[in-house]
Amino acid sequence: MQCAANTKNQGCETGYCMINVAPLPRADAAVPLIAFHGVSHMFGNRPVLQDINLTINKSEFVCMVGPSGCGKTTMLRMVGGLQTPATGEVTFAGKRVAGPAREISFMFQDYSKALLPWRTAAGNVSLALEANGVPTGQRAARIKDLLGKVGLANHADHFPVQLSGGMQQRVQIARCLAQEPSVLLMDEPFGALDAMTRQALQDEILRIIQASRTTVVFVTHDLEEAIYLGDRVVALYPNPGRIAQVFDVDLPKPRNQLTTRESPSFLRLRRALFDFIREGEA
Amino acid sequence: MKVAKALVLPVALLILWEVAMRMSGIQSDSLAPPSQIAVAFYNAMLDGTIPWRTAETLRAALTGLAIGAGCGLIVSILLGLIPPVARLMQFSIEVLRPVPAVALIPVAILTLGFGYAMEVSLVAFATFWPVLIYGHAAITNIEPQLLDVSRVLRLSGLGRVTKIVLPATLPRYFVAFRLATAVSLIVAVTVEIAANPLGIGYELMTASQSLHPDLMFALVLWIGLVGWGLNGALLFAQRRLFGPAGMAEIAR
Amino acid sequence: MSIAARGLWLLGSIGVTALLVLSWQLIANYGGIPPVFLPGPDRAWSALVAGFSGGELAGLTGATVERMIYGWVLASLAGIALGAVIGSSQVAREYVAPMLEIVRPVPVSAFMPVVMAFLGLTGTMVLVVIAIGSIWPVLLATVHGVSSVEPRLVEVSQSLRLSRFKTLWKIALPNAQADILAGMRIGLTVALILAVIGEMLTSENGLGWSILQAARAYRSADLFAGVIVLGVIGLVSNLALQSIERYVLRWKRR
Repeated sequence: MQCAANTKNQGCETGYCMINVAPLPRADAAVPLIAFHGVSHMFGNRPVLQDINLTINKSEFVCMVGPSGCGKTTMLRMVGGLQTPATGEVTFAGKRVAGPAREISFMFQDYSKALLPWRTAAGNVSLALEANGVPTGQRAARIKDLLGKVGLANHADHFPVQLSGGMQQRVQIARCLAQEPSVLLMDEPFGALDAMTRQALQDEILRIIQASRTTVVFVTHDLEEAIYLGDRVVALYPNPGRIAQVFDVDLPKPRNQLTTRESPSFLRLRRALFDFIREGEA
Repeated sequence: MKVAKALVLPVALLILWEVAMRMSGIQSDSLAPPSQIAVAFYNAMLDGTIPWRTAETLRAALTGLAIGAGCGLIVSILLGLIPPVARLMQFSIEVLRPVPAVALIPVAILTLGFGYAMEVSLVAFATFWPVLIYGHAAITNIEPQLLDVSRVLRLSGLGRVTKIVLPATLPRYFVAFRLATAVSLIVAVTVEIAANPLGIGYELMTASQSLHPDLMFALVLWIGLVGWGLNGALLFAQRRLFGPAGMAEIAR
Repeated sequence: MSIAARGLWLLGSIGVTALLVLSWQLIANYGGIPPVFLPGPDRAWSALVAGFSGGELAGLTGATVERMIYGWVLASLAGIALGAVIGSSQVAREYVAPMLEIVRPVPVSAFMPVVMAFLGLTGTMVLVVIAIGSIWPVLLATVHGVSSVEPRLVEVSQSLRLSRFKTLWKIALPNAQADILAGMRIGLTVALILAVIGEMLTSENGLGWSILQAARAYRSADLFAGVIVLGVIGLVSNLALQSIERYVLRWKRR
């Protein structure tokens, strides 16, 4: 099962997408890790999501793009158990998501608010270990390892105010990894960072994910970022949020900031996605 | 709904208190049921005890407040407009400020004897500091551009104070004044309880020592009401005078 | 401003204080005020020295400080615990917090005659009054700090599936630390005031009682020595708490 989209979709023009109006889940496929079944949602009287059907498989990196108001963050929060859909349901490993789960880790965009300001980088990572009941004696080594993984080995004793935005977001990555999640939900995690830092963190997250084979759902408004990172890109229309089209990204891995972004398939995909989004806005 | 929820606990406690005292039939020298407290309050209001004693307390508190806050206002303007003076006075202020006003009660008794003068001077000492500190902070926080404007307009020293400094700092001064008002009542009542045979605090002390718990609780309640009323009136005035912008100053 | 300039200004302002003390001396010597009312700094100083070297000033100071600290520690612990319970529960906030706001404006010294009616003129009474008086600032500050956690951090704790207790202990209470410390600083000032008044009323051993005695016996030098010690207690306790605050809240500084 690769993708599903709602019935309003037109045909596939580019050859890089696979849209079907197939019902789901397919009987012969394995149970998908995450699935949206006819999810709709309202904020007050405003519909934000309309009849979302989507499945995400294990170890997949799925990016969700779309203009503001398309409900991409709301979808992510539903998977994370921070929000319950008004109609329909979201399942994780075949079971309905009723609240936050240990296996699912949520990474917030606003790192300055999502870290405990009174704890050092090490202390913030420790929070996830404490939540998981890791014994005190084992924490120090784990923290050191995790901070090393995100390149903050020398900043363990720094408080968040003493770290740059990129470093704070690395601390958050380390905290999420400390949870040893099978799913990592990322809500525009690099949106507030400068271009250089963003690219460095993109490569780092790909490297870390590759090793642990974690499933990632990544929300962004940056189309290039979505193509660069994702195995699939889900494009959403706004007001109310609907799945417009799902693009398969068949770029070779590991990806490279220069060669990948210059490759003809990347450019073609970018063109297709760009046209598509603009069409939706018009 | 909010008000109802807020009332549940106090009302329940009052009923429990009343019922417990009636059921047990205790004749206590230190506790009285709410119904008796209400009666004592009514009587003390009617025979003039409460109004008269309150007038004494307020007279001392407000006179002291006028002197203390007035001096605080003047000194804070001086310090605010002439930074070298502020820097030179800093050490003296830091050393004098932590002296608890109540420690000066014996000094005031020794030099002024019992009566209004000692109470007024102690209230003045205590209310001087908040106005000075908050006022000074208010002036040093004035937009520098406003002071530049006064220089460009070639305003005189007095003109600068009345046309720029006071209007710009008025909301904060008002907050300081409100704080100082609360302090004035606290100090006045405290001095009366501790030493001075005057006012509502003295009456409260007498009620406690002459084993009249009903009157004692009625007076505690009344003192709370007076403090609450003063603060409420000033909050109301603040909201009317300065609007939402003035209220935001409190949050800081 | 450079450090050197700052040091010079500090020296200058200490100089001003010295000038003030000098003028106090001159007024006492030549101002025509009888020495029973106003001792010069020289006489106050020698009373201070005599009181600490052979007299009872050290013991009195110890008694007052002990009383103040005991009551304050008691009040702070109770205030933080109660505040945490009230602040972390929406229900408790709606039902209990308004009553706290009603009681708050009552001057704490007004509770003294009430407690006195129960416990008499005793040291226990003073301790209880200190505890009652200095619990308010801590309690109200804790309620505020615990209930005003950044919403994003609430989501972080949800997403980490922290238990209610762990959320309180690891997130809400640390979030309240600035408020709690500020409340405790006010509480300590209140504790000193109530200790002094309590001693004056009950004749319990302490500085409050001793300065009242000195005033009644027209021993102005002893009186001023006592007042100076009380001022120093206020100053030192405030400075100590300020530096603790600076250390604990170091994560706020860049």
